[in-house]
Amino acid sequence: MTKLNPTLADGPQARPTQPPLTWWGRAKRELRRNSFAYIVMLPVLVHFALFEFGPFVFSFVLTFMDWPLIGAPKFVGFANWQASFGDPLVWRSLWNTTLFALYYVFPTIALGFLLALMISSDLPGTRLLRIMVLVPFVTSGVIVAGIWQYIFKGNENGLFNFLIGQFGAEPRAYFSDPTLAMIVLASLSIFRISGYLMIYYLAGLRSIPRHLYEAAEIDGANGWATVWYITLPLLKPIHFFVAVITTIGAFQVFEQMYVITRGGPAFATTTIVYYLYQVGFNMLRMGYATVVAFVLFVVVFILSTLQRRYLGKEVSYY
Amino acid sequence: MVRKFTVPQLLLLYVAMVILVFAYLVPFSLMVLGSLRKSISFIPDLGYMFSENTLENFAYIIRRELFPRWFLNSVIFAVVPVLTQAVLCTLIGYVFARKNFVGKGTIFWIMVSMIIIPTQLLVIPQYILFDRLDWIDRYWAILVPDLWAILGVFFARQYLQTIPKEIDEAAFLDGANDWQVFFRMIMPLCAPAIATIATFRFIANWNDLFRPLIFMLSERMFPLPVGLAALYSIEGNFGVQMAAATLAFVPTFTIFLLFQRFFTQGVQMSALD
Repeated sequence: MTKLNPTLADGPQARPTQPPLTWWGRAKRELRRNSFAYIVMLPVLVHFALFEFGPFVFSFVLTFMDWPLIGAPKFVGFANWQASFGDPLVWRSLWNTTLFALYYVFPTIALGFLLALMISSDLPGTRLLRIMVLVPFVTSGVIVAGIWQYIFKGNENGLFNFLIGQFGAEPRAYFSDPTLAMIVLASLSIFRISGYLMIYYLAGLRSIPRHLYEAAEIDGANGWATVWYITLPLLKPIHFFVAVITTIGAFQVFEQMYVITRGGPAFATTTIVYYLYQVGFNMLRMGYATVVAFVLFVVVFILSTLQRRYLGKEVSYY
Repeated sequence: MVRKFTVPQLLLLYVAMVILVFAYLVPFSLMVLGSLRKSISFIPDLGYMFSENTLENFAYIIRRELFPRWFLNSVIFAVVPVLTQAVLCTLIGYVFARKNFVGKGTIFWIMVSMIIIPTQLLVIPQYILFDRLDWIDRYWAILVPDLWAILGVFFARQYLQTIPKEIDEAAFLDGANDWQVFFRMIMPLCAPAIATIATFRFIANWNDLFRPLIFMLSERMFPLPVGLAALYSIEGNFGVQMAAATLAFVPTFTIFLLFQRFFTQGVQMSALD
């Protein structure tokens, strides 16, 4: 009688001998054993290859093609790449995007942190504040941009002009001034995104052990000192993380440029994504637009790699 | 952590909180109060903003032939992916968490790596593909790529790894097959994860401007964000613009209020840690 489960004590000779399986036999056995996984994953992989991975690979090819939607695509070598390096609007839009990031990233992080600090006090009323600051984030940027148009309307009927008018300031035309237009568009993103960063900071604040604060209190540190010497340094991984995601977000900014300024005045708010939209979908130069998109991709890729490196070797302070 | 605060600290905190609540409230009050105004332009005056209310703007906007259509399109673009992803992300997450297949680790790694690729890059080759498939200006262009999403799969997988294997293995011993285990055991067990995936997807898709702007060409196919942007430039009436914005605002606002907890988890899941 053969044993169903040969044990080690039986010795190697006791195992029922099986004919060696061909690769085909092994494949069949594997398919039968994990049939459920293959039935699920096969269509998933086809879908992934067709709509995500394939287009990504194809985008490399596209950068070497002249691809108008009407008419035959043509291989043009490095022409698109060369043209983009010589295109003043590519550099201009990169510069504009950098400016936007400068106006937007730090204030959003600072506000997000302050909000989390207030909310983590758990005083009455903080629940309301927590909901309030997340509402702009769950609201479409197009809706907020529509409201922003009235807040920063150029004449004395704009809400902001009206408010500063109460203090004797002259009304300004925000959307026709190159510098002010970008600052106002950045203020919209600050308003929308700071609540989102608050979520990460709040989670970080809640994970700091209380005994650190208690120890500081015994040492006689006041409230501000504990924030400066304990809270801020301990949240370093979160500062880094939110700085990376807001910078990536800054490089992808599009909505308010599309709704409010259309890249103007005089290309002052033409950011990289707005330019790629113009080139690809208004001028229908798909190959060239892909090159512009690659510039964006490279920036995002570098930032995410930095983040992975940094957070990968992160050490715990407590 | 409720700490002891001194009186001046408390005072400062509350002054800051009141200012912030006010600052976050003003834009949305402008929208809602504006939608109730009769006059066609915005006047920054409290007396005017709180003067007699009218629903005329809403009546006008829902009778404009395209607005209800935009709303319907938004519902389709948001609700269909919520339904498919609730099932498919959980199913794929289940396979990644519990099953084995050749190349599992590599495939998962490639899929997760694709998350950092900006939509704006993928949209161009996708446009060419959909142009060939004749999907431009059709719902398929949004719905088919959104059948499942790696973010949701990642989350479902993480969630399932916290549930002991023995629970679903017991069902196999009782003679259930994989599909029965998935629909009768895994789906109910994953209810909180599914709520998170669904809430996050609904809000993201309802607010998405870029993809429908690229893939939908005719006004009849616009969802609300694209339609609203068009409306702002063709319709100069302040009240009508704000009424349209208010109607577009209500669904995500409601979903957010109802599923706050799940939404916050969704945000944290998008950090992929």
